[in-house]
Amino acid sequence: MQPLQFQHCAIRFSDVYALNDISLEIAPGEHWVLLGANGSGKSALAAALVGKGQLISGVRSVLPRSQLVSFEVQRELIEAEREKDDSDITDEVYAGTPGREVLAGGNPDITNSLIEAFGLGDVLDRAFRNLSTGETRKLLLIRAIAAEPELLVLDEPFEGLDIDATAQLVDQLCRLTQALPNKASGANTNPTTIVLVLNRLDEIPVWVSQAALMIEGRIAHSGGIKEALPIVRQLLQLQRDDLVVPASELTDRVPALAPGPLVKLQSGRVAYGERVVFSDLNWQINPGEHWQVVGPNGSGKTCLLNLITGDHPQCYVNDIQVVGFQRGRGESIWDLKQHMGYVSAALQWEYRVSISLQNVIISGFYDSIGLYAKATDHQQVIAKQWLELLGLRDRTDQPFNQCSYGDQRLLLIARAMVKHPQLLILDEPCLGLDEVNRQLVLSLIEIICASSETTVLYVNHHAGDHIKGIEKVLNMADYA
Amino acid sequence: MANYFNSLSLREQLAQLGKCEFMNPSEFADGANYLKGKKLVVVGCGAQGLNQGLNLRDSGLDVSYTLRASAIAEKRQSWKNATENGFTVGTYDELIPTADLVLNLTPDKQHTAVVGEIVPLMKKDSCLAYSHGFNIVEEGMQVREDITVIMVAPKCPGTEVREEYKRGFGVPTLIAVHENNDPRGEGLALAKAYAAGTGGHKAGVLMSSFIAEVKSDLMGEQTILCGMLQTGSLLCFDKMVAQGVDAGYAAKLVQYGWETVTEALKHGGVTNMLDRLSNPAKIKAYDLAEELKVIMRPLYEKHMDDIMSGHFSRTMMEDWANDDLNLLGWRKETGESAFEKTAAADVEITDQEYFDHGILMVAMVKAGVELAYETMVSAGIKEESAYYESLHETPLIANTIARKKLFEMNNTISDTAEYGCYLYNHACLPLLGDFMKTIDTDVIGRGLGLNDFSVDNQRLIEVNDDLRSHSVENIGKVLRGYMGSMKKIV
Repeated sequence: MQPLQFQHCAIRFSDVYALNDISLEIAPGEHWVLLGANGSGKSALAAALVGKGQLISGVRSVLPRSQLVSFEVQRELIEAEREKDDSDITDEVYAGTPGREVLAGGNPDITNSLIEAFGLGDVLDRAFRNLSTGETRKLLLIRAIAAEPELLVLDEPFEGLDIDATAQLVDQLCRLTQALPNKASGANTNPTTIVLVLNRLDEIPVWVSQAALMIEGRIAHSGGIKEALPIVRQLLQLQRDDLVVPASELTDRVPALAPGPLVKLQSGRVAYGERVVFSDLNWQINPGEHWQVVGPNGSGKTCLLNLITGDHPQCYVNDIQVVGFQRGRGESIWDLKQHMGYVSAALQWEYRVSISLQNVIISGFYDSIGLYAKATDHQQVIAKQWLELLGLRDRTDQPFNQCSYGDQRLLLIARAMVKHPQLLILDEPCLGLDEVNRQLVLSLIEIICASSETTVLYVNHHAGDHIKGIEKVLNMADYA
Repeated sequence: MANYFNSLSLREQLAQLGKCEFMNPSEFADGANYLKGKKLVVVGCGAQGLNQGLNLRDSGLDVSYTLRASAIAEKRQSWKNATENGFTVGTYDELIPTADLVLNLTPDKQHTAVVGEIVPLMKKDSCLAYSHGFNIVEEGMQVREDITVIMVAPKCPGTEVREEYKRGFGVPTLIAVHENNDPRGEGLALAKAYAAGTGGHKAGVLMSSFIAEVKSDLMGEQTILCGMLQTGSLLCFDKMVAQGVDAGYAAKLVQYGWETVTEALKHGGVTNMLDRLSNPAKIKAYDLAEELKVIMRPLYEKHMDDIMSGHFSRTMMEDWANDDLNLLGWRKETGESAFEKTAAADVEITDQEYFDHGILMVAMVKAGVELAYETMVSAGIKEESAYYESLHETPLIANTIARKKLFEMNNTISDTAEYGCYLYNHACLPLLGDFMKTIDTDVIGRGLGLNDFSVDNQRLIEVNDDLRSHSVENIGKVLRGYMGSMKKIV
């Protein structure tokens, strides 16, 4: 491979976002990690490495065979599916592109071995857009690796993967970094150069040799990993002893619930045609009992949570009681949602609006995507307190859709918590968050768990993200 | 069956045509409550049927689907759509007799057959809902006297109906009660509850009549929406190619140009669409549109007259009965046009270039929108209806042309719209023959190419005043204001 060179590059991504004065050289045999806070530009730099963004000034070389896996790529694919969906004009419901088609074009041997390694075989015939976050992630990783790139850029590759898949990926990447004998010619093929974007320092693999730290759209430090890490740790260090969760609205807009369980599911089952995701699931959540839901990718964690939020249509064929309502007995989903707060990857994809950061938080009072009501003074004050807490106070009026993935995530967590709901459902809340923000969010969840108002349901793959106060565990593997 | 509209006295006709008002949000304080506990059965499970059903169920209503026995036995797509979403599915015989409200969401053309089959099965004092009134008004379908007949028509495709609902909002919706079939006086309560169940009340509801909906819908779709864009596409493309503009570029300018210029129309009406042009280009577009309006006005009036007299629907239904001989022939012809067969070139055309190089297209949209609107209003249709069926819907068809060009656009719109579109196109092409001889690439394909953009102040003021004072602009501002009052916060 040629070295990849950036000399004093300014690269524009949108009207409001650009990287500035980027100089970087990635030599063959080096493997890099890009670090930085949410919104610092590490994802933008990753995208720039494979040629994305508009070069305003400077010189950059781009390798012809480079591959990127990121939330943005995932979002673009889903967006493309949306565009292929002609049901608005044909009135025929669109089935969606099967996962298998997304993988077409790569080296078939590599594709097949990775499908096996990730245990993805039986979901490939389903529509790509209906797969779980983890499954979609795996699909994109396979696609990128099977293209046999010279340069492989992976933006948060471990996010959303279960423990087995993470181990598999670490193993695969390690192999790619080594020169492998080519079966046909007997000569050694060149190893792939790998660039990782990581939020968690504990996930940096041993073979990574170089690091770059991004701050506000610039490279603040780059060099050997050993020298870089202490600097990074120092810069990312944050002490938060004074954490306070802003109060909820004073008015009693939301009627109080009758005493009783928050959720009661009997013989729960979700199936698509012949394929059963889970069955025979009996589950009762009592107020004050905080739960963690665990299980491998595709085991139905998100499905289960969607049965509770009412976003899964099969909630109507299950015997399920949510915040006092037996589902399918004349309640509206808005009756339920006013007692719940919810964050997930799917919500973030659906939240495609250009409203201000402040209004995103206020929309949590109304359970809406976008804001269609006039906010009260009190709500505005509360929203400002949240923005302060998140360190976004000076960006109150910026449009949401121009924020980085991590900042968006942070805002949606605040949106879910803002009304102090009876039931707070957090489906992998830390996805895309940097070290500091992850600590912040985990601390917030801990404080909320300790209060008597809110009961928390929590999905997370990282054993390290254990939250004090969450004692109960539901393992989806028991219901497959 | 006899044309219902023609059976009315002039007084009744005028009263029905002139019905269309924007309902106050406070009229929906009851939400979907009037339908709580009642049984809703949807006929048809395409995108509109499925998505409306999902919304109604999420609003706390009891919804199931009925399909033809063959669709169930063969597990067709409609059956899968309904069952995978956890709905009960049954045959007409099984479900229709249990229904308090039957939602007929099948295509227009099947209405006579479907309604003929389900009405005898419907229980006494139940309700039948349509989303288009053609079957009642033009085909003169007579529904049993004890049955309430209403219309609830979301003014957006089914996927959008669902997406907006999930966001906590809705799409603008038109409702109506059939005067002949409101035996217990509950038609309005039912229609309002149905509209609220789909989320429509959050985005604004228009109270109209079956007749106003049908007559204005037919007029809009065959003239400005589909007809004008089809004729304009063919004329603009051929002119550019004849004058030596690269065919691929011409195909792209036309295919995507309508969408770009009508996007401006959607946001700020005809005024905003013309404001996107430079001052000299704006005056040029204005003058061309004035000329086009004089030439085309008799054609718009003929379409309106044929729709009002029932001549249009009668001749079209004769073609239905004749195995769509005309329709299919005309459709084939559309597929063979030079525009259809030329692929869009892979060149970048900026947003602004579509305006600057498409002055004639802007003029055609202006002339078509204003003529359709003026003709409808002069025929007794209320400004609100006329606005929705002309200006409001033009961007939707323009978007379809951008995605599918003309042949597929015609394939996907209703047969009624398609039939009318061809009639318009056949008459309009020769009508604009002499006019097109005066046209050169300065207004279509290459732009004015000016270095000096100066204009006469007085002339510019006249043009701007005239643009801004048109009735379609005034009502448009009011209606977009209603819709936007909630969205503005976004």
